Amino acid sequence: MQTISAVFAYTFKEHIRHKAWLSAALFGLVLLGGAIIVSALGADERARLLLDLGLAAIEAISLVSVVFLTVSLILVEIESRAIYLILTHPVRRSDYLLGRFLGTVAAVAVGMAVMAAMHLGLLTLYGWWEPLRYLAALACVLGKTAVMGALSLLLSLALTSEAAAMAFAVFLWMLGHFSSEMRFLADRSGSAFLKTALVAFSHAAPDFAHFNYRDFWHQAAPGAEWLMWAGVYALAYSAACLALSVQLFDQKEF
Amino acid sequence: MKGRWLAVAAALFALALFAGSRMRRLHEPRFPPLGELKAGPFAFQDAGLAAAGFRAPAADLAWIQLLQYAAGSLPEYTDHPGHPYEHLGTLSLRVSRLDPSFHRAVLFSAGMLAWFHGIERPDEAAELLNEGMRRSPDQPMYALYLAALAYKKQGDTDRMIALLESSFDQPETPSTMKAILANLRQSRGEYREALVLWARILDSERDRSEHARARAKISELKSLLAKPAPKKR
Repeated sequence: MQTISAVFAYTFKEHIRHKAWLSAALFGLVLLGGAIIVSALGADERARLLLDLGLAAIEAISLVSVVFLTVSLILVEIESRAIYLILTHPVRRSDYLLGRFLGTVAAVAVGMAVMAAMHLGLLTLYGWWEPLRYLAALACVLGKTAVMGALSLLLSLALTSEAAAMAFAVFLWMLGHFSSEMRFLADRSGSAFLKTALVAFSHAAPDFAHFNYRDFWHQAAPGAEWLMWAGVYALAYSAACLALSVQLFDQKEF
Repeated sequence: MKGRWLAVAAALFALALFAGSRMRRLHEPRFPPLGELKAGPFAFQDAGLAAAGFRAPAADLAWIQLLQYAAGSLPEYTDHPGHPYEHLGTLSLRVSRLDPSFHRAVLFSAGMLAWFHGIERPDEAAELLNEGMRRSPDQPMYALYLAALAYKKQGDTDRMIALLESSFDQPETPSTMKAILANLRQSRGEYREALVLWARILDSERDRSEHARARAKISELKSLLAKPAPKKR
């Protein structure tokens, strides 16, 4: 546990000092500013527009940050040979990987929190005040970010190429929002093979379509039990990806 | 112990699948399939945003484009001479198909098509409202507007206005519809009632887009009311 927290602390500090992370946070603030301007065109739906566009900006920036940071998280240390130095110490590879991952997600979460605080402040100025629902939406965005971070880490270790890992991560992000469509296609498909493949694929890909609280809360917001299962889903999916990453990392010879 | 982490991953993945099935059972988002999005100048924008998981923001941008069209400044959609606002229905259905909970888009277009001076296409408005009702049967405003349309067709303007005014303070009522109602009162010579409606618009923070017009109308109506009534001979 001590090792994990030590790796967590240095990863967290490294990301907070990282210029790319800071520019992403700055870009997020610019996007939030853009949301104010765009929402001004929305006439009597101004608060809704500010809410949706702001949350979308927070999610987009968090996604880009977490994918960029995690695909290079281990690969950069392998390339610079810094990993030799770390692994010569009594550090278990699983602890090292977990500490690195948690530190990255925490750094992204801090960026999200800063953007969310500013966003919520703006919404309050426009008369929108539903902090509990906002927190639920933000928790779902964080869940998606954690799942994408774990997936990107796994892909970077499996493909050993940052560019390929990023491309696959973006592909899986898109696919995750098509889980309903894939199941719909499977229902319509006449071929048993295609049906099985589609169902298997729809389950294997992260189910972001059902995780998109900020997208469907205007309809009927799901209750506390749904949020609990969504949390279990994000934790279990991320942990499964991390376990696979540890398996791959254990097999690497340095 | 080589496959230990594989076993752990399999167990965790099974747990994720179970949690996912519970999530789906507890709440299924009611979004129309992407196949229902119509091809048009903005198809790429809509499909791209929806595929990236931004359906509500996509509907918001579609709403802004609908308002731009209504204001006559959307070059991708131009009307044929003599057919004002011919794309209003298409553009509001686009918003509704991206996010069926965006009721205001349908109500705004239906209101304009049915009651806006110089348009008056109630059948088209009824079609829009029926589609809105099919997608969101629990939204009472669609039924209310359809009932008001029925009164309009019967020529029962008093009951139509009374029904529409009953929804005046509902959060879903578009500001444009409120302005239409106030103008309707004014056109019937009911200046006092029109003045009250414009004052209510001015009081509402949500109807900020109509505040400038409300101020102008209030001063116009006050001067009309200040004039002495013409003497009967």
